[in-house]
Amino acid sequence: MPTMDYAASMTLSEAPLGAPVRIHHLRARPEVSKRLRELGLCEDAVVSCIMKGHGNIICALRNTRIGLDRHLAGSILVSSDE
Amino acid sequence: MRDAGSGIVRRRTVALIGNPNAGKTTVFNALTGLRQKIGNYSGVTVEMKEGKLTLEEGGHATLLDLPGTYSLSPNAPDERIATEIILGQSPHASRPDLVVCVVDANNLERNLYLVSQLLDLEIPLIVALTMTDVAAREGLRVDHRGLARELGVPVIPMVASRGEGVGALIKAIEATRSAPGKPRQWPLPDPFRRECEELVGMLRERHGLSEPVAFHEALGLITRDGPLNGADERFAPEILAHVVKDHRKLDFLGINRQTVAVESRYLWITAICGRVAPHPARTGASISDRLDRILTHRVWGPALFFALMAIMFQAIFSWAEIPMEWIAGVFDTAGREITKMMPAGDLRDLIVSGALGGVAAVVTFLPQILFLFFFLGILEDTGYMARAAFIMDRLMSKVGLHGKSFIPLLSSFACAIPGIMATRTIEHPRDRLATMLVAPLMGCSARLPVYALLIAACIPPVAVFGFLSLQALTLFAMYLLGLAAALAMAWIFKNSLLRTPPPVFIMELPSYKVPSVKSILLQMGERALVFLRKAGTIILGASIILWFLASYPKLDHATPSDQLQYSFAGRAGRAIEPLIRPLGFDWKIGVGLVTSLLQREMFVSTMGTIYNIQGSQDKAGSVSLKERLQADIDPATGKQLFTPLTGICLMIYYVFAMQCLSTVAIMKRETNSWKWPLFQLAYMTALAYLVTFVVYRAGTILGLGG
Repeated sequence: MPTMDYAASMTLSEAPLGAPVRIHHLRARPEVSKRLRELGLCEDAVVSCIMKGHGNIICALRNTRIGLDRHLAGSILVSSDE
Repeated sequence: MRDAGSGIVRRRTVALIGNPNAGKTTVFNALTGLRQKIGNYSGVTVEMKEGKLTLEEGGHATLLDLPGTYSLSPNAPDERIATEIILGQSPHASRPDLVVCVVDANNLERNLYLVSQLLDLEIPLIVALTMTDVAAREGLRVDHRGLARELGVPVIPMVASRGEGVGALIKAIEATRSAPGKPRQWPLPDPFRRECEELVGMLRERHGLSEPVAFHEALGLITRDGPLNGADERFAPEILAHVVKDHRKLDFLGINRQTVAVESRYLWITAICGRVAPHPARTGASISDRLDRILTHRVWGPALFFALMAIMFQAIFSWAEIPMEWIAGVFDTAGREITKMMPAGDLRDLIVSGALGGVAAVVTFLPQILFLFFFLGILEDTGYMARAAFIMDRLMSKVGLHGKSFIPLLSSFACAIPGIMATRTIEHPRDRLATMLVAPLMGCSARLPVYALLIAACIPPVAVFGFLSLQALTLFAMYLLGLAAALAMAWIFKNSLLRTPPPVFIMELPSYKVPSVKSILLQMGERALVFLRKAGTIILGASIILWFLASYPKLDHATPSDQLQYSFAGRAGRAIEPLIRPLGFDWKIGVGLVTSLLQREMFVSTMGTIYNIQGSQDKAGSVSLKERLQADIDPATGKQLFTPLTGICLMIYYVFAMQCLSTVAIMKRETNSWKWPLFQLAYMTALAYLVTFVVYRAGTILGLGG
C-alpha cells in the first residue's frame, strides 16, 4: 500500500472538477463501502469529478460514470494524482 | 443435449448474467429472438425472463436472463435472485449447466470483478464481450484472445445490437461443457487465506458444500462486518462461533477483512487489463459528459426536467386529440349502423349501449396512453432516466428516500405494477417498502382516461400563457398532486413506521445514446395490445353486466332517468349516496366509484354505459359522453351536476384512491403478506375521502360549487 499523505488529502466532493484524484480511504458504513468497492471505487482507484451540484457529484472511473450523493462523496478521501 | 443411446433430449439451462447496463438484455434478445423490454437504466430486468435458444446442431437450450448484478455478494433483492440461482440455492430454478457472463468492453475492469467471482465457483463459463463497437470508437481495443488465455474461458466479442458474434456465441454454448481448469489466480494474504481454508473445510464437512461453493460462503462470512444475522439460519452454530473467532483474530492482526479480498481481485484484474486492453490517453470530456454538465446542472437540470414533463403532458392532451376523434368516430358510426340494422329492443340496447358504449369510452383513450409510453420510452432509452434519478435525489433525500426510488415512481406514471416490481433494485427493505407503499399515488395510465373525460367535461378550454391550455395544465397539476402526495406520504412513513439510517445514493449513469425507435415502437405495440385485450375482455364483460344491472328490473312507461334509478345499479348507487354526498358526488358517480374498484378506467366505461341508457331517447350514439355529462342536471339542486368543482373533486379522489385490484395483488406477492396491501388500500382510501371532502367544502364555501 502506498504511503498516505493525509496533509494533501481531501474528500471527493472537494476535489477540483476534471482533475484526476486517487482514492485512499473509504469512511462510509461497511456495507456501503463494500458497494463502492464492487463498483470499482476502491482504494487506489483513480477517479475524476465531472459534475457537481449541491454537493452531489458525478465521478468518472475510466469509462463509467457514477452518481453519488453529497454525504457519500464527503466520505471518500482522495489525494491529487499528480 | 442428446443422451447416447436413449435418444432423449435433455434441455440444458444456460444463465445469462452481467452488470447492469452491460447489454445483457440485448444479448438475450439476439439469442432468443424473444421480444422484451430493454431499458437503459440500472435494474430494468427486475423479473427473471426465460427464453428458448435454438442450437445449430438441433435441439434447444433454456436461456435464463438473470437480474443485473455487480457481484455475487448481494446488496439488493434483485441481486440476491441472480446469486441464488448461480449457486444453485434458488427454490425457483435449478443450477444452470452453463453461465454466460456479459461483459461491457468499455468497463472491462469493473465487469471482470463479477467474472472473477464466477471463476471461483468453477462452473462452465463463457464471457460475451459486448459493445466492442463503442469501445473501438473510443479508441479502446480489447485483445479478446489474450483475455481468453488469461481467464481460461472462451471470450466471444460481440456487437449484439447488430447481431455480430451471435453465431459464435451459440457455437461456444454448444462446445463448452466443462469448467475452466485454472486454479484461483488472485492471492489472499497469508493469515487470511489460512482462516479461509480452515472454514472451507468445516463448511464442506458440516454442510456438505462443494469446495468452490464453500470458498464463496467462507469468503462471505469472513469479510462480513458486524453481527452475523441473516446468515444465522443457513449455518450451524459452531461455524458461526468459529467465524466470530476468525474476525477477532484477523482484526487483531490489523488485516482489513472487508477490503483485502476486493483489493486482491482488483490487483489481478488491473494487471490483466493492462495486458489485454491498454487504455488510450484521455481526450478530454466526452459528449456524454458535456451533456451531463447541462442536464444535471443544479439549476438547469431540474428546470429542464420539469419543462420536459410539461411538454409531455401538453402532448398527451393536445396532440392525441386528433386520433382520439377518429376512434370515437369509428365507434359512433358503428353504433349508428347497428341501430339502423337491428330492430329496437333489449338486444340492440345491449349491443349499442352496453357493450359498444362501455368499450368505446375506454378505447378512445388509446392514443393518449400510447403518447405516454412513447415519452417514457424515450426517457428510458436515451439514458436520461438515470439522470432524472440523480437530479431528484436531493428532493427524495428530503423525504428520507434516495434518487433510486424515483425510477420506480416515474415508471408508476405508466403503471404502478412495473413500478412496484422495479423497487427490487432498492437495497434497504424499509426504503423499498416505503417506495412500494407510495408508488400507486403516482398518476398511472389508467387514471388518464378518467382525468381526460372529466377535464373535457368540466374544465373550460381556455389558453394560458398563449400556448398552454388550461386543460393540459389541469392534467399536469393532477400528476404533480400525485407526486406531491407520494413524497409527503413517503416522508410520513420514513419518519414513523419505516425509520432507517439516512439512505445513500450510488448509481451508475449509462452514457447517453440515440434512442432505438424500433424498441420504443415495440414497447408501445405491446402496451396497446395489453390495453385492447383488457378492453375486449374485462371491460367488455363488465360493461355487459353493468348494462344489465342498469336496465333491470324494468319499469313500465318510465322516463330513461326514472328507469335507471329503479334499476339494480341505481339502487346500489342510491344506497351509497349518503356516503359520497359530502364529497359532492351523486349516485351515478357512486356506481362508477364502485365499479372502478376493479380498475380505474372502469369509471369511464361505467359513465359511458349509464349515460347511454339514460340518453337512449335522443339519437343514440350521436352525442358524445362529454356532452352528456355536461348536460346532466342534478335533481337535488336543479343545477348542472358536472361543475368544475365536481370535476376537480372527482379527479382528486382518483389521485389518492387505490382503485386497482392488480396493484393489491402485486403488493401481496412482493411483500408476501396481506398486511401491507390492506394497509395501503386503507390509507389511500381514507386519504382520498378526506382530501376530497376538504376540497369540496372549501370550494363550496368559496362559491365555486355553482
